[in-house]
Amino acid sequence: MKVIISLILFLTIFHVNGQRVLLLNGLLHVGNGSVVETSAIGIQDGKILFVKNALTSNFDQTQWDTIIKLDGQQIYPGFVATNSTLGLNEIDAVRATRDFQDVGEFNPHVRAQIAYMVESRVIETVKSNGILITQTTPRGGIISGTSSLMFLDGWNWEDATLLKDDGVHLNWPEANNGDSWNSEVNSKNKNKDYKSQCAEIFDFFQMASVYAKDKKPTNFDQRLEAMVDCFKGTKRVFIHASELQQLTDIISFVSEFKIPFPVIVGGHDAYLLGARLKDAQIPVMLQRVHSLPNSEDENVALPYQLASLLQKEEILFCLQNEGDMEAMNTRNLPFQAGTAMAYGLTEEQAVRSISLSACEILGIDQNYGSIETGKSATLFVSKGSALDMRSNQVTLIIRDGQLVDHHNFQEKLYLKYKKKYEEKP
Amino acid sequence: MSNKFFNNKVNTPFFYKFTLENNLMMRLFTLSLFLLLNSIIFAQNQPNNGVAKSKVSSYFLQHVNLFVSPTEILENVSVLIENEKIKDFGKLLLSPSDAVVIDMNGKTIIPSFIELYSNIGLPAPVSHHSNRPQLNTLNKGDYYWNEAIHPEVDAATLFHVDPTASESLIKMGFGFALSHQQDGIARGTAALVSIGDVPINKAIISPLSANFYSFSKGTSNQSYPSSQMGSIALLRQAFYDRIYAQETNNYSLSMKSWTDHLALPNFFKVEDKWEIIRASKIAKEFDLPMNFIGSGNEYANVTYLKDIKAQLVVPINFPDAFDVQDPYVAKQIPLSDLKHWELAPFNTKILLDNEVRFAITSNGIAAPDVFWKNIRKQVELGVSTASILNSLTLVPASYLGIDSLIGSLNKGKLASFCVYNLNPFENEALLLESWHLGERTVLNSEQKNNVLGKFSLTLNGKKYLLQLLDDKEKPTAQLIEYVKKYDPKTKLTTTDTLTNKVLVRLNQDDISMSFNLDDQKDKGSFQLHGRISAEGGVMEGDALIADGTWVLWAAIRQEKPSQKEKTNKEVTTELTTPSAWLPNMAFGTISKSSDKPIVIKNAQIWTNESEQILTDAMVICSAGKIVYVGKDNQAYPPNALVIDAKNQHLTSGIIDEHSHIAISKGVNEGGESVTAEVSIGDVVNPDDINIYRQLSGGVTAAQLLHGSANTIGGQSALIKLKWGASPSEMLITNAPKFIKCALGENVKQANWGDFNTVRFPQTRMGVEQVFYDGFNRALIYQEKIEKFKQGKIPAIRKDLELDILSEILSGERKITCHSYVQSEINMLMKVADSMHFTVNTFTHILEGYKVADKMKAHGVGASTFSDWWAYKFEVNDAIPYNASLMSQQGLVVAINSDDAEMGRRLNQEAAKSVKYGGMSEIEAWKMVTLNPAKLLHLDDRMGSIKVGKDADLVLWSDNPLSINAKVNYTIIDGEIKYSAIEDISAQERNRLERARITALMLKSNKSSAPGKKYEKKKKQEFHCNTLGEEGTDSENTH
Repeated sequence: MKVIISLILFLTIFHVNGQRVLLLNGLLHVGNGSVVETSAIGIQDGKILFVKNALTSNFDQTQWDTIIKLDGQQIYPGFVATNSTLGLNEIDAVRATRDFQDVGEFNPHVRAQIAYMVESRVIETVKSNGILITQTTPRGGIISGTSSLMFLDGWNWEDATLLKDDGVHLNWPEANNGDSWNSEVNSKNKNKDYKSQCAEIFDFFQMASVYAKDKKPTNFDQRLEAMVDCFKGTKRVFIHASELQQLTDIISFVSEFKIPFPVIVGGHDAYLLGARLKDAQIPVMLQRVHSLPNSEDENVALPYQLASLLQKEEILFCLQNEGDMEAMNTRNLPFQAGTAMAYGLTEEQAVRSISLSACEILGIDQNYGSIETGKSATLFVSKGSALDMRSNQVTLIIRDGQLVDHHNFQEKLYLKYKKKYEEKP
Repeated sequence: MSNKFFNNKVNTPFFYKFTLENNLMMRLFTLSLFLLLNSIIFAQNQPNNGVAKSKVSSYFLQHVNLFVSPTEILENVSVLIENEKIKDFGKLLLSPSDAVVIDMNGKTIIPSFIELYSNIGLPAPVSHHSNRPQLNTLNKGDYYWNEAIHPEVDAATLFHVDPTASESLIKMGFGFALSHQQDGIARGTAALVSIGDVPINKAIISPLSANFYSFSKGTSNQSYPSSQMGSIALLRQAFYDRIYAQETNNYSLSMKSWTDHLALPNFFKVEDKWEIIRASKIAKEFDLPMNFIGSGNEYANVTYLKDIKAQLVVPINFPDAFDVQDPYVAKQIPLSDLKHWELAPFNTKILLDNEVRFAITSNGIAAPDVFWKNIRKQVELGVSTASILNSLTLVPASYLGIDSLIGSLNKGKLASFCVYNLNPFENEALLLESWHLGERTVLNSEQKNNVLGKFSLTLNGKKYLLQLLDDKEKPTAQLIEYVKKYDPKTKLTTTDTLTNKVLVRLNQDDISMSFNLDDQKDKGSFQLHGRISAEGGVMEGDALIADGTWVLWAAIRQEKPSQKEKTNKEVTTELTTPSAWLPNMAFGTISKSSDKPIVIKNAQIWTNESEQILTDAMVICSAGKIVYVGKDNQAYPPNALVIDAKNQHLTSGIIDEHSHIAISKGVNEGGESVTAEVSIGDVVNPDDINIYRQLSGGVTAAQLLHGSANTIGGQSALIKLKWGASPSEMLITNAPKFIKCALGENVKQANWGDFNTVRFPQTRMGVEQVFYDGFNRALIYQEKIEKFKQGKIPAIRKDLELDILSEILSGERKITCHSYVQSEINMLMKVADSMHFTVNTFTHILEGYKVADKMKAHGVGASTFSDWWAYKFEVNDAIPYNASLMSQQGLVVAINSDDAEMGRRLNQEAAKSVKYGGMSEIEAWKMVTLNPAKLLHLDDRMGSIKVGKDADLVLWSDNPLSINAKVNYTIIDGEIKYSAIEDISAQERNRLERARITALMLKSNKSSAPGKKYEKKKKQEFHCNTLGEEGTDSENTH
């Protein structure tokens, strides 16, 4: 059956498995920096068959089960929320709904994947703004645990999993701040223990690397077991740090332990390191764009400009949103990329910073992050620019070729009360 | 026995009725009467054990360099001391036959200093800490209901002589201290005491000398107050309670002693320069002359202090230089700290230049050498010795009204002074004697003979070279050994020298030395003791040597110390006083902004009026107002500043209906459920960098709201974001009156942990009753006022809380109420309906969309978040379509920040309603400009671009709702307060200033002791639910 669908009349369910779907005449943001003004995207079996210029190509309509005419709407690769407690946290103030931090300092064995609540109401609202993939990440301790890459849709955590156990998260001690990992929240003393805290991390990695090389069934260790893949390169090591002293120490640390895929998370001062970070080939998941400057002296717009400063230094980076009310606020990730655009990135660099760059850093760019031939068809359509608050209006979500509901309970509540008032005399 | 110091002729029993008359003479008169009366009470005669104590009848000091007073310095005079007082002084004075004559040999005598901020001889106050909130006082007895108000605490009754604690004050040169228990808000009375080891019956010069106040509740564990505005309200209420007690002649113990001591001098301890302004407002309200114990940063608002004629007591504990060797660490130090480090030593200089009166306190300095170093530092920076001496003697004495007795060494004054070998203001001098009330204490004796030089020391049959170096009073010494070495290869004998460190102690002609030797023959420790000959050239004595036997030793001087040229003191180049920025921190302003007319032409103008958006249009501002809006061809004043706004968008300034920036020491007075008496207007803080940051986001005005920790919170402050202005300049003049109320989880303390289950209410049911209780109490209060006006009752207790609740009932004060779920929103509207007033604004109001029709019927507006939710249970049904739905129902809807970060991009937040609910751009923009102006009843002067309105304008690089929009100019009252270009120069200025001061600090790091380690302070922000005086960086649950 051939269906030509104009999106305004779009039906919520159709089965695309095995079907051939053509997205026609949308403005395509590929994700890799390029744009196709009037695009044609062929999709089959969850994969992208081709990406063409619709104006210079001819299509036999009979060859397609479904053709979706987008008429100038904009197509984006599914956005990626890295380093997030989305799915692990439902209501910030209600302890019973918080599942992101466990007891203990070295918890690489603690896995986020199985706590990921795919039916979270928060996830629904985030998905509606174009975020289709998240790195569900534990918090706390020195090694918080192991994250996993998850889709924002699915029946259960198993079928929402994109990549299980993608990496461990290491919180580097703060060098110039007594707000160290174990102390009370508001202590203001300088971190006198910085060296010994770093030594603790070195000791642990020493132990783990020995274990990784010479593993016997008799010395099985649950904690160290979870570290083995970090040295093999099948798990990444995400090191959360922001200040210069930390970053320079991390460069030595990863080289000493020959960690194949280190990533800096936060990285406020990374722009000051420039080539050193680039040479060390350590990418950065940059701190929340919408945050206040670190000190009263700092350039007011610096948090907005950090992305473009890293771009200038040619450091591979993506955006992330860790911070206050982060689960709920994940839906504003596209607008954070938008702000980074207003302060120096080009539009396509901004798109890349929450799509392809994120997937490159996570090691899933073979299949995700951009809309290119052979990759998974994981994308969404917005009426206008998805990076601007006014025009981010998602009308279609496809994940691995499957159509995904883009509505959420908030929209339903809206319509319910709108109706109430309209019916009122 | 202090009455003897007063030649008061009144000796009949005396009764005095207090009045509030502000007559200085009267005050001084009553003060001295008090001292008299009290001294009689304190009089006592201790029986002697044995025969009467022997006593010198008078002292005659000859050859004195006498500082009679700051302005009268006499050289080579004699001083006669008799009966604890200075009897006479002069060149031709003859010694009475019975006087003990002391030859002072040209030494310097300085009157004893007076320390005004001391707790010497007083026990530490006791605190009872508990994790649970303590709502009532634990003081049993007829005292004030709040533990922080204890005017009855009388230092004299707690005082004991404490010679150990006196030591460092004595070494600094102090002879007197005004001692009080440094605890609480109304702290009680202070006693003027003589320090030193003085008999208790002489130590107290004047038992009731002053009242002390502060903003800090100290050891009180009572929940209220928990903020500075709470302390202000509590102190004011207590003053009114005192007046009422007096009017009705019905006193508690606290009120009785307060009333009795009302005429004493008053001192207010503050922690910051702006607190002086706050405290002086209270003093003015109750007509109390007030002195302020400052914090050392008064230089930064000196012009305002001059305006109020502040009388200060300032510390000189200048901050140490930070250790800036490591640039990674140095980069963390805020410019405000660097600038304070540079400016703090200039504080007194700047106060003098501005004719602000001050005394100096040693508060904050423990070590006498630091005190003197800092005193001399000020002399180096250009403060005259006379000014410094004045601020340590006559000024404090006059603050206490006791300058006829102490503060100088004029005839008839108390003989308390210090004797120095040199003028201590100009040299590192040695304090030799300290005289207290005519009694001499010798602390040091100057070394008569100079023993420095090279000596040949003979000890145990061997010769050594002994060198005594450096300081004549406390020499350092080394022993040089000659060791002969025979080299068998070269067959030559060489002499090696071995240098050993010698510990030496010198007391006039008595010397002891010890050292270790490592010689084959003489291995071990050597201890020498001996006498020095009159000329200092020969020493001899006994020595205990390494093997434990005693031998004789002798040393003869071979060489006198070379007469060093008196090194000319480095002439410091710091003679120009550095200038404080306004505020004194990064991005602070250095000059007043221009008040020239401003013309903005070629702009897209979002008028918020019926014209909607004008293209290629012009706005002219003059004298703070918009004087023209229209086509681009209007003539404008020739001196106008013209901004070409081609391709740019001009809007009226953003108004943040719900903000918590620029607030000092506590956004919540959460100590009680109803705290209508507190006011954010009392604690506006102009030194908050968030003011500047929000200017960069186009915010020109804001309502600074009390937090949501309790049902009826505090009064709002409506401000304009005038960076660099004073708190009172920031407040909008004749602003409508507002108060914060709150509902739901915060007021019932749902997320405050298991200890906070004491305060009523703990449920939404209770919240309703708190409102009814408050308003009913206000009604009864109003009836009483009516009766009082009709003369039916003689007096009325002014109640600051009920005054404000009455204003709500009369409609004079509007409510902005924090709210979330529909049940509570509905409830408050019903409470208001039944009390015949209207709720003005619901803020947060995240379920407003469910009851928008009811809100419309009640007539309330809404100020909400664009898309926040999921941070606590009561926001589970919050939807981003809320603003659109409420708007569609005809409510006046605003989008607010409640968050310092979001406050600088409210344009983005407004734009979200275009996405969620399809609001038009023009209506969306009004949600951060005109609509909040309407909600604040400021729309007659703000909120749109219209002739006659305030010139509060923002020029944007793009459509202000676009993600690409950036602010190019923010204009308030016709003055440019932020510009993107000036921001770049400001960054440059910050950088240069930082480099300049860091260089000075590095120099200081090298020349003196290693610097202070920098401790990074996290910038903390206030949110609705932030408790206590400090901000927080913990999770924000609004």
